[in-house]
Parts: sequence; structure tokens; C-alpha cells
Amino acid sequence: MSAAAEVPASRVAGSRVAVSARLVRAEVMKIRTTRAWWLFVGGFAALTALAALFGWASHHAELYPPSDLTNEADALAQAAADRTPAGAAALAASMMTSGQALLVLVTLLLGVHVVTSEYAARTMTSTFLVTPRRELVIGAKLVTAAAFGVGLWAIATVVDGVVTPVFLAAQHLPGAALGSSEVMRAVVMGLLAYVLWALFGLGLGAVLRNPVVAAVAAIAIYAGGFVVAELVAHLLNYAFHASWLLGLAVLAPAEASNVMIASGRAFQGAPPWWAGALVLVAYGVVLAGLGVAVIRRQDVS
Amino acid sequence: MIIVLAVLIVGGIVWLLRNRARPGSAERRRAAPPGAEPQVPAELSVGAPIPEELWPLGRVEVSGLTKEYGGVTVVDDVSFTAEPGRVTGLLGPNGAGKTTTLRMLLGLVAPSGGVARIGRSRYGEIERPVLTVGALLEASGAHEGRTGRDHLRVLCRAAGLPLARADEVLGAVGLARVGGRLVRGYSLGMRQRLGVAAALVGDPQVLILDEPGNGLDPAGIRWTRDLLRALAASGRTVLVSSHQLAEVEQLADDLVVIAAGRVVASGTLESVIGAHAGLEEAFLELTAGRGEIR
Repeated sequence: MSAAAEVPASRVAGSRVAVSARLVRAEVMKIRTTRAWWLFVGGFAALTALAALFGWASHHAELYPPSDLTNEADALAQAAADRTPAGAAALAASMMTSGQALLVLVTLLLGVHVVTSEYAARTMTSTFLVTPRRELVIGAKLVTAAAFGVGLWAIATVVDGVVTPVFLAAQHLPGAALGSSEVMRAVVMGLLAYVLWALFGLGLGAVLRNPVVAAVAAIAIYAGGFVVAELVAHLLNYAFHASWLLGLAVLAPAEASNVMIASGRAFQGAPPWWAGALVLVAYGVVLAGLGVAVIRRQDVS
Repeated sequence: MIIVLAVLIVGGIVWLLRNRARPGSAERRRAAPPGAEPQVPAELSVGAPIPEELWPLGRVEVSGLTKEYGGVTVVDDVSFTAEPGRVTGLLGPNGAGKTTTLRMLLGLVAPSGGVARIGRSRYGEIERPVLTVGALLEASGAHEGRTGRDHLRVLCRAAGLPLARADEVLGAVGLARVGGRLVRGYSLGMRQRLGVAAALVGDPQVLILDEPGNGLDPAGIRWTRDLLRALAASGRTVLVSSHQLAEVEQLADDLVVIAAGRVVASGTLESVIGAHAGLEEAFLELTAGRGEIR
């Protein structure tokens, strides 16, 4: 491997796809070779199991309400509704996506990590020395974050896929509920949510750079988004007495995610699921684009 | 409960297998004990000599580089060349703009004006720059929580080099025994060596090093000097920044002296020293009133 032999090769344009493929592999390796791997994947698997457990317990309580409730009639009606095919399908869908509203937070933080860790550890210098075409580096990071979103979704789906049939059998619900279109839809929309939140986190991390600031901002946007969106939408509704204004809450990314995932309407006046998907895609694209623009121009020192 | 247990058990098994699969992983989390400073390898591995017809590809040419940060000019119209087959020392007091100049040369910092080329291209235009240019900026530049070997493997993977190259360069800089340890446990000298290993990973024709002697013990300084001299002797271009005059005097063929962002002298070592008693006298007079101490 003499430099003499290598120099001409270095001037030959490597195909974009080939370069991108090896950059993605390098990005995956970056995550695999630090503690982040175990924190994210192990932590996620543990959280998924806990969420399934919690889902099991809460649905069990719903199916077999205790007898000392003040609204006993309502509780019994709910339990009866759960026994209908539609009710069982809804339960199955809920079990197959146990804790998803919390779990997508992990992919959000993973997206943040993929880019901010390089600034915190000062490895961005060597990353850009190897690949001065920064848009390729960011592209690889986007693909990696999305791939990890898919991976975490797969872990959740496998865990829930094992737990849910057992749950249905244990609660004497028809196993056929698992095959309903509602379950399918919930799982597929979940995949979209995992991927989009990972991209959202990456864009946010690229813009903010500091891992702590970006992580706090990510959580604030995720959790606080609900509150602010509901507040503003309700105020507008009170002011103008138009219930469609309530639907504007979908503009908050967390609400958009909610609208996208929910079977039926997520809240009063909520737009259809695809509106939520569009809003979330728009956020992902805008933030990622902003991140690319910032990283491409910024000095690395 | 069963599910949580299952996850913990499966996780534990995977963890154990992973640790088993990696030799040296048991000692990874331990900090380097005193006296564990790696042995300097007796032989220098610098790669095959560069045929003379390819030397022009390794010429570094900086012309009119300028960098302003918020109205303050930290690098002001800097021009110089670094020639193949020679060691060029970039000399200047702290804060003179050496690092910024090198970062502009390497495409990490966008110049406010001027251009820097390696061969005929700017750094950002070279397709696989690791194969042409090796750079050492801050010590190691590696993630604290990653092993030295993994740091180099990530570079290999991104550059499209075989992963085995990581072990080759680890051996070349005398870090073979500690490659499996986390960088967190490395001494400053070991970090510098890891940085040199990273610079050598693509067997480049041009080496650009920012203060490579920092934190090295006398044996390490000697080794670095011998390595850089051998690299230059093989037809490679070596550009080294430093403010350690004695070290530069023994190492460099050519000098570029910058102070307060401007080139105040350049040429061969002898021509820069000129009529002065030595490099120290020449340097102090050239940079008088322009360093940190005024």
C-alpha cells in the first residue's frame, strides 16, 4: 500500500452511493463502539418490556373493574365494549404499541446523540478530515438515525408481538383481534413515528450542537408541545368559536405524532392522521435541512 | 416480570459474548497504570518512497489566506509553500494564527479570503483525502469512551480502508498493547501517538501536524522527530507547527514564522536564522512585540 499507488486512486471520483454506504457503516460503528449502544438499545428494550407490563396491567384492570367504583356502571360498560370484536382489536392495537408515546422519545434522543456527540467529543474534526463533503456526512447520519429508528421499532414490535397474544389468551379475548387492520395500521404508523422522530432529533442536534441543550430542548418540545398546543388551540377556539381551530394543535410536533398514530380522532377537532404525518415530515425535513445548512457552513475548531 | 427477566438475561449473555470476543477488553476500563507508557517501536514505518514524478501532487501552497472573526483579523494574508521531501516548520508565538491557518488548509475553517491548495486541489476537492493528506490537530481527537483501536477502525471504515490497517498503524506508533483500552485512560503522550496513527492511516503523501511534540517525553520527541525526518526523506511533504524552537531547529528544513497573523519571515532554516546567533534570537527579534507577552 504505497502512497504512490494510492494517489491516482484518490483522484478518481468514488460513486456517491458507495461513499454514502461506507459512511453509514462508519456511523453505525461509531454508535456500536461506545456506551451509547447499550444505553439506547438496552435501555429501550427494558423500557419496552416495562411498557408492555404496564399496558397489560391497565387493560386487565379495565376488563375486570373492581366492584367498589363510584362509576361502576360506566366501567362495566367499558369492559363489555372491550369484549366486542372492535373493542378487542383496539386493545390488541394498544398492546402492540405499548408505551409508544414515551418510547419514541428514545429515538428522538438517539437522533440528537448521533450529531451532538461528535461535537461534545470533538470528533467532528476527524470526521470532516476523512470526508470533507459534509453533506455526505450528514446524509449518512440521517440514514443511520432513520435505520436506528427502524431497529428500535423492530425491538418494540417483537417484544409486543410476543406479549400481546399471551395477553389476549390470558384475558379470554379472541386471538383473531391481532390480525385486524387496526393493529396493522397502529404498527405501521408506529414505524413512521420512530423514523420521523429520529430525524427530528438529528436536525435539532445539528442546529443546537450542545448535547445537553439539545436533549433538554428535544424533551421540552416533545412534552411541552402538547401543553402549549392545547392551550393556544383552546384559546383560539374560545375567541372565535370555531371548533376547527382546535385542530391547529396538530402543528405542535408531539400532537402531530399523536394524530398520526391514533386510531380514530386523537382529540376533539383533530384532523385526519395524514395531516399529522405531513406536519411531522415537514418538521423533520425543515430541521434536517437547517442542520445541513448550519453544519456545511460552520467552522470546526 | 418474566419479560423483564428475559430481557436482562438475553442482554447479559450478549454483553458477555461481546466482551469475550474482544481480547484485552477486560483491561479496557482501567486507566493506564504508571509505567505503562508504550515502548517506542525500533523501526519507523513510513511507507514506500514517493516517485519523484508524483512529488508535485504533495506540494502545499497557501496564498493570501485571511480569516476574520467578528472584525478581528486572526490570520492576515498568509502565503507560503511546503515542499515535498522537506520538513517545513510553521513557527509562531501562542495565538499567532498557526492553528487557524492549518484548519483553513484542511477545509475545517472557511477562509475570509485567499486559497490553500494541496497538489492542485483544495482539501475539500480531494476525493479520498485520507489517502493523500494525514493530519494531526488537537491531541488524538478521539472519543474518550471509545478504544484507540475502534477510533482508528471508524476512520478506516469511513475512508474505505481495510479495518486491519488500524492495527498496522497502532503497531507503527507503539500502541499495539493498549489499542483495546478506552482513550479516557490514555496519557497525553499516548493520545499524541494515537493522533499520529490516525494521520498515517491512509499512508498519505502529505503530513500536516499541529504541535505534535506537545506532552511527549524526550524519547517520544526524539521518535516523532525521526519519524517526520524519515517521512520527508521518502519524498513526503511534512508541515509542522510548533513553538518549541529547539525542537524545530533540529527538525525543519524550511521555516515560516508568523506573528499576530502575519508572515514575518520564511525560507530555509539557515536563511531565517541569517546573521543571528541562533533560531531563538532570530525568532524573538522577528516576533518582538507581537506575541502574548508585550
